Amino acid sequence: MRFFDCNVGFGQPPNAPATVLRTAEELVRELDFCGVAEALVHYTAIEHESAQAGNCLVVDETADHARLHPTWAILPPQTHEFGTVHEFLADMRRDGVRALRAYPEEHRYLLNALTFGPLFEEIVPRRIPLMVGPHWAAITQLLADFPDLTVVIVGHGDWGDDRYFRPLVARYPRLHLDTSNYQTPDGIADFVGQYGRERLIYGSGFPPFQMGGALLTLARADISDEGKEAIAGESLRRLLREAAP
Amino acid sequence: MTNSSAIAHDFLTRGRCETCPIVDMHGHYGPFRGVYFPDPYADGMLRAMDRAGVARVVCSSHTSLVDPERGNREMAQVIRDHPDRFLGYRAINPNYADQVEAEIARFPHDAGFVGFKFHPSGNCYPLTGDNYLPALEYAHQQRLIVLSHTWGASQYDSPEMLGEVAPKYPEATFIMGHSGYGEWDAAFGVARENPNVYLDLTAAYKVAGIIERMCSEVGSEKVLFGTDLPWFDPYYCIGCICFSHITDDERRNILHRTAERLLAPFLTGSQPPEGKQERRGSD
Repeated sequence: MRFFDCNVGFGQPPNAPATVLRTAEELVRELDFCGVAEALVHYTAIEHESAQAGNCLVVDETADHARLHPTWAILPPQTHEFGTVHEFLADMRRDGVRALRAYPEEHRYLLNALTFGPLFEEIVPRRIPLMVGPHWAAITQLLADFPDLTVVIVGHGDWGDDRYFRPLVARYPRLHLDTSNYQTPDGIADFVGQYGRERLIYGSGFPPFQMGGALLTLARADISDEGKEAIAGESLRRLLREAAP
Repeated sequence: MTNSSAIAHDFLTRGRCETCPIVDMHGHYGPFRGVYFPDPYADGMLRAMDRAGVARVVCSSHTSLVDPERGNREMAQVIRDHPDRFLGYRAINPNYADQVEAEIARFPHDAGFVGFKFHPSGNCYPLTGDNYLPALEYAHQQRLIVLSHTWGASQYDSPEMLGEVAPKYPEATFIMGHSGYGEWDAAFGVARENPNVYLDLTAAYKVAGIIERMCSEVGSEKVLFGTDLPWFDPYYCIGCICFSHITDDERRNILHRTAERLLAPFLTGSQPPEGKQERRGSD
């Protein structure tokens, strides 16, 4: 299987977790240890320091690593912290950024049409994936307002969140889920049996999650090899090919 | 892949490691209020166990955490139906002191129970509270296993609270459920200082680097495999162990050796409870 991890971070967080990978080189070594070919990455400063710092650092740090693909945080267009929407998109093109991340709690905004309408009206037709944690009420309203928005929900699952996300998956074909914390026994097979193999995207959630958990869970899922390949990387590669900032 | 672990290779390529049968020391049984499980009953759990090469799981039913009489009866039936695969913890709800005594009285009469399950946070009753004392005393007398939920900074079951209880009952074996999730230094200290306290990987396994810390700071022989099954797919925990930076010898300790040693006294013959009376002493 050719794994493409959609949900990986690196850099020094403010606390001192059990494992810290400070540099892209260290991250690549860990990816190699686990047999992961590529990763969509963010710099941990994006959460703990500022969106501005994280967006700059991830581009600088991954510049020499073709296997690492940078992602950026969004902020409300009205505060102009990343210039105009079109300037932001131009910067994405310049720096090879093809996916965005939303942190409504850490960055303190409302993830809704009022705040992000000007940005989402641009990224929907450009098919730029937006990655966001399991903020179910906000995501439900967001998809009602932007049903064609490409969304990847990351890190869902400690308490088996299927009751939240299955109604959304059934309604919105551009909604995807990462597998970083999808630990439900036979959950992948159960999900794929109902919704097909295109809607799950492999992610490790490192950090804080260990890289191997989601990897082995997918590798041994009770689905076809084609299904595993799709989840392991093919679907993410397709999403990124479609994205046109 | 630069991971040279033969165990990791076996799990990745074959889905199991024939020389490394897994023992899951922290399971549950049945549906639970806030979670979707595709199949939380014996057939579904056995399917997940069979695929990953999990030989046994030691469980408490979710029902038993609320209504021990009903839930422990349910668990006893599962054990009777699958005596080679399921063992049980008899759950205690300390909010009903009379039921605690009743569960202790029933303990010798159901085969396959290896000890007690405490969930102080779930029952909002402190692990150090008086209503746990009869079960702790019985576990000490009968050399049973006590699996207690623990969580970092909890007012009901912090690692320090287990550290207060465990030395008083040295003949009982304590499993620190979730290893005091988040309050790692305190949990590791309690496990180091008390020979009868073991760390449980359930949920903790997913924290990057924590398995390495457990092995280096406490020792792999005091770390137990656990999944909360039917909550979590065994492969997730196995994957975290396989892709931790530890040795295969340490992996074997975690996956089965220590658990087999702890369970050995309960697995002699077909284990009618009376058969254990000699070892346990009189009730």
